[in-house]
Amino acid sequence: MARRTALLAFLLGTLAIAAAYASAFLPGDPPRWSAWAMGTGTAVVMVAAMALGAARAGRIGRLKLPFAFVFVVLAGGFAAALALPPEAPGAALFLGLPLRAAIVLIGVGMLPLFVLPVAYALTFDEMTLSEADLERVRRQARALAPNAAVPAIAPETTPVPAEAEAV
Amino acid sequence: MTMAILQTGELPALAQPTIVVVAVVYFAIVAAIGAWATRKTRTASDFFVAGEGIGLLALTLAAMSATLSGFAFIGGPGLVYSVGLGAMFLILPAAVTSSMTSWALAKRMRLLGEVRGLITVPDAIGARYRSPAAQGLSGLAILIAVIGYMATNVLALGLVIDAIFGTGLAWGVWIGMAVVLAYSVAGGILAGVYTDVFQGSLMAVASVLVFVYTLRVGGGMTGISRTLMAADETFLAPFGAMGPVAALSLFFVFGVGSMGQPHVIHKFYMLRDPRKLKWYPLLVTVALLVTMLLYFGVGVAVKSLVVEGRIAPLGTPDDATPLFLLRFTPVLLAALVFSGVAAAIMSTVNSFMNIGAAAVTHDLPVALGLRVKNELFWGRIATVVISIAAAFLALLPGALVAFLGIFGWGLFASTLVPALAIGLNWEGATKEGAVASIGVGLLVTLFFETLAYFEAYRFPTGVSVSGLSLVLSILVFFAVSWLTRGRAASQLDEDVKLVMSV
Repeated sequence: MARRTALLAFLLGTLAIAAAYASAFLPGDPPRWSAWAMGTGTAVVMVAAMALGAARAGRIGRLKLPFAFVFVVLAGGFAAALALPPEAPGAALFLGLPLRAAIVLIGVGMLPLFVLPVAYALTFDEMTLSEADLERVRRQARALAPNAAVPAIAPETTPVPAEAEAV
Repeated sequence: MTMAILQTGELPALAQPTIVVVAVVYFAIVAAIGAWATRKTRTASDFFVAGEGIGLLALTLAAMSATLSGFAFIGGPGLVYSVGLGAMFLILPAAVTSSMTSWALAKRMRLLGEVRGLITVPDAIGARYRSPAAQGLSGLAILIAVIGYMATNVLALGLVIDAIFGTGLAWGVWIGMAVVLAYSVAGGILAGVYTDVFQGSLMAVASVLVFVYTLRVGGGMTGISRTLMAADETFLAPFGAMGPVAALSLFFVFGVGSMGQPHVIHKFYMLRDPRKLKWYPLLVTVALLVTMLLYFGVGVAVKSLVVEGRIAPLGTPDDATPLFLLRFTPVLLAALVFSGVAAAIMSTVNSFMNIGAAAVTHDLPVALGLRVKNELFWGRIATVVISIAAAFLALLPGALVAFLGIFGWGLFASTLVPALAIGLNWEGATKEGAVASIGVGLLVTLFFETLAYFEAYRFPTGVSVSGLSLVLSILVFFAVSWLTRGRAASQLDEDVKLVMSV
């Protein structure tokens, strides 16, 4: 389910970006929605790519939270940059930066660092690759090719049962 | 997020004794590492994937060094100086990209590499879709992009060597190429990885030190911001002088496209213990962000110094880093950074040499149903031939080299992201979808970049060839895979399916 949702999100995010590019070919200035579509579509595609890779047995488990957080940071950061008014020269600074610059540089550019790699490490054994997973892959791979690693492109084999999911 | 784009304009002369001595010491260390690695390189696996025998720290620094070229030190700060914060959208995705690539690709590529004995990125495509055509087509795309990228990087290396030693550009190109070639041909990727460890450390240290100096000289971040906000209301606006669509498009291309950079993802094959991937995203993200401090710091500090009248406006934006270093930092630090620039370029060139040679001696023959018998020997020969071709291209007059260099990132992204990042995680993807998306990425990129080069067509503001070709190749991949979905299951070998299920 999570994998199917991630694939659909990947596709929809890409379509939003395609729409943003297509709008640039229209006569006159690009419509206001194109930047919103580009920003939101990019955030969707990046989070979808992570969810697609992280999904196991159709679930992403505890990773929902960090992925949701990063989506909010990216999409929200782009939205704030697009929507907030320009700062006056004497405006308050945040960590030495005007508000919108701080949102982009520190929010979009740094906050994910404190969440994603940590989530990856903390869930690695459970969600990514446990010792048992590794041993199972090695054992089954040896069973498939007992003497050595099989060639990069294996010879034609009997087709496996049709259970591939398709969007 | 690779930034193997480079300045092709001349640098100011840097020929000072300290800078020359540090550069000589630096080249001597690289030569020593190359000699050590040569003794350990005995097989094609050693040459192309370091015999699957490197540790986590080496992987981290090698991935970081391959990701960053001289652009991070010279072209990038110049771009910030020119267009303000919009230029940051090229590096902002770094906080996400390593984690994203780890989830989407690292584990599966590493396990597939072990199960199948893979040595190239197109190998993974060939194995995933049981398709020599997909493997060959992606190998061709890599080869085209590699030669262009190498030409621009070698030209930049020639400029740096000329600026330090006063050799003249042509000699700078040939000397630089000879140094990289010597350790790459003899020691293969093993030499590359361990010189990257040295070079990556140098780049990170130099970047942090320079950032500290930019803050000191500019009166802290607050002082720099106040100066810039008073003089130019757009410079520190979130998208700078770029439009929002153009800046966000950079984020998309350099974010999502990072999953298709073969010189980085190829390194997953090399990790000795796949369970060490656990800490890879954290280490490489921190290393990348630290190394990019210089990119931001020099760009904004030099602009603020120009606004304050403390230095004259730059003749060319690429002068930002050399000028700041020579005027505002101790000469030893300047020397370290210039060696760091050479280091960044050389580590990127080495990675390109390796994957280009693998495309010639491995991927293209596989696509034609052939097997090269002595891949180590022919890998070395291919490395020399590709390098010499790139050096000749670099020295061609006119703008051809810049043309060749600009489409590499987009070509890698559009030809590899759908087939790998989606395909290794979706059993419904098909060989037909992979071949179609690689073909579309290749054709769209080459066609529109050629039109742009000859000024026959110009995209509207905000649209880049890289972004458009990446979007089209993803959509084609989904569409063709869906249309041919009935064949998906029969194209998946049991061991590949096993790796995809973990």
